Amino acid sequence: MDVSINGAPIYTIPIGGGIPISATIVSSWIVMILITGLCIWLTRDLKVTGISKRQAAAEFLVNTATNFVRGNMGVKFDFFIPFVAALFATSLVSNLISLVGIWSPTADLSTEAAWAVMVFFLITRAKIRSGGLGGYLKGFTEPIFVLTPFNILSEIATPISMACRHFGNILSGTVISALLYAALALASHALLGWLPGALGEVLGAIPILSVGIPAIAGLYFDWFSGFMQAFIFCMLTTLYIANAAGEE
Amino acid sequence: MFQQLVTIVPWNFVAAICNLLIQMWLIKKFLFKPVQKVLAQRQQLADAQIADAEAARTDAEAMRADYEQRLAAAKEEAAALVQNATRTAQLRSEEILRQAQADAVEIKNKADADIAQQRKKAINEVKDEIGGIAMDIASKVVEREIDQQAHQDLIDEFIRNVGDAS
Repeated sequence: MDVSINGAPIYTIPIGGGIPISATIVSSWIVMILITGLCIWLTRDLKVTGISKRQAAAEFLVNTATNFVRGNMGVKFDFFIPFVAALFATSLVSNLISLVGIWSPTADLSTEAAWAVMVFFLITRAKIRSGGLGGYLKGFTEPIFVLTPFNILSEIATPISMACRHFGNILSGTVISALLYAALALASHALLGWLPGALGEVLGAIPILSVGIPAIAGLYFDWFSGFMQAFIFCMLTTLYIANAAGEE
Repeated sequence: MFQQLVTIVPWNFVAAICNLLIQMWLIKKFLFKPVQKVLAQRQQLADAQIADAEAARTDAEAMRADYEQRLAAAKEEAAALVQNATRTAQLRSEEILRQAQADAVEIKNKADADIAQQRKKAINEVKDEIGGIAMDIASKVVEREIDQQAHQDLIDEFIRNVGDAS
């Protein structure tokens, strides 16, 4: 039995000579539509008093995002709230969308790398803002000049580690569920394949053990890990930026 | 056709950055702006209600103070009225008593004077009567005319003696 784990499928749009388009991009559009649709649906006919459950959920989300950013960064960074909220929502929905069989955009390192580079840009911007360009560059030579290469290395390591942490967790989930499905199919075959004749071939080909067990593994690898990685990515984003700006 | 498992595709990279920025704008526009607007309105409403309640409380406090002040004033007034009335009544009763005493004394004096006068009058009447009777008796006893002046003297002396004896 062959177990193949591939990267994002590349579709071809049949226009002209055919434009190749990655499943990552298509999925991220679906994710955006879902999130934006949810936002629009949640904020329909908002009222000041006598609110609906839907509005309560919308207010809960806004308050949670606001408190999260304020708790990690302080009240000076309120303009980061939509960014962090978008990052969390996109990451979470991207992680969970694989549950319905759509290619998860976060299973492509490009996505996480893009986010991490944005965060790196924000961190650097915050550092330059708080200490000036000179202060920022001087920060690399501290505590002594010899450590400059290591400081540069650690600076670059931040986005790489953020991107790889998120991607690695999602990828490991994908790899493990692929292996699990393959293993369970083999186990099902071994369980019923000994039956004589066509009966054994037919029953052995049905991976009956694949019903139920992957769902339990999915509870961790898809739900918990998906939620945790989105949370960790946002947590690190806010903490790094706040730290860079000299706000604890 | 598949991408490589671990790779960075430039177009996907750029698309992810653009998508995140667009998503940020969409979330801001469709979730944060409306919800924050409603939250601000609710905050405003709550503030207004608190301010109203505060104002109402202040009013009630003022009314209560006013009422208490008035009540105290009314009580004071009532006490003053009662005290005044009591004093007036006392004075009046004393005056009535004094008047009554004076009246009684006057009446008694008048009665005494009347009695004295009546007595004097009665005595005089009795004197005259006795004098007449004595004259009649005497003239009848003596059966003769005597000197009028001598008689009169005699009678007067007799009466005086009688008066002294009585």
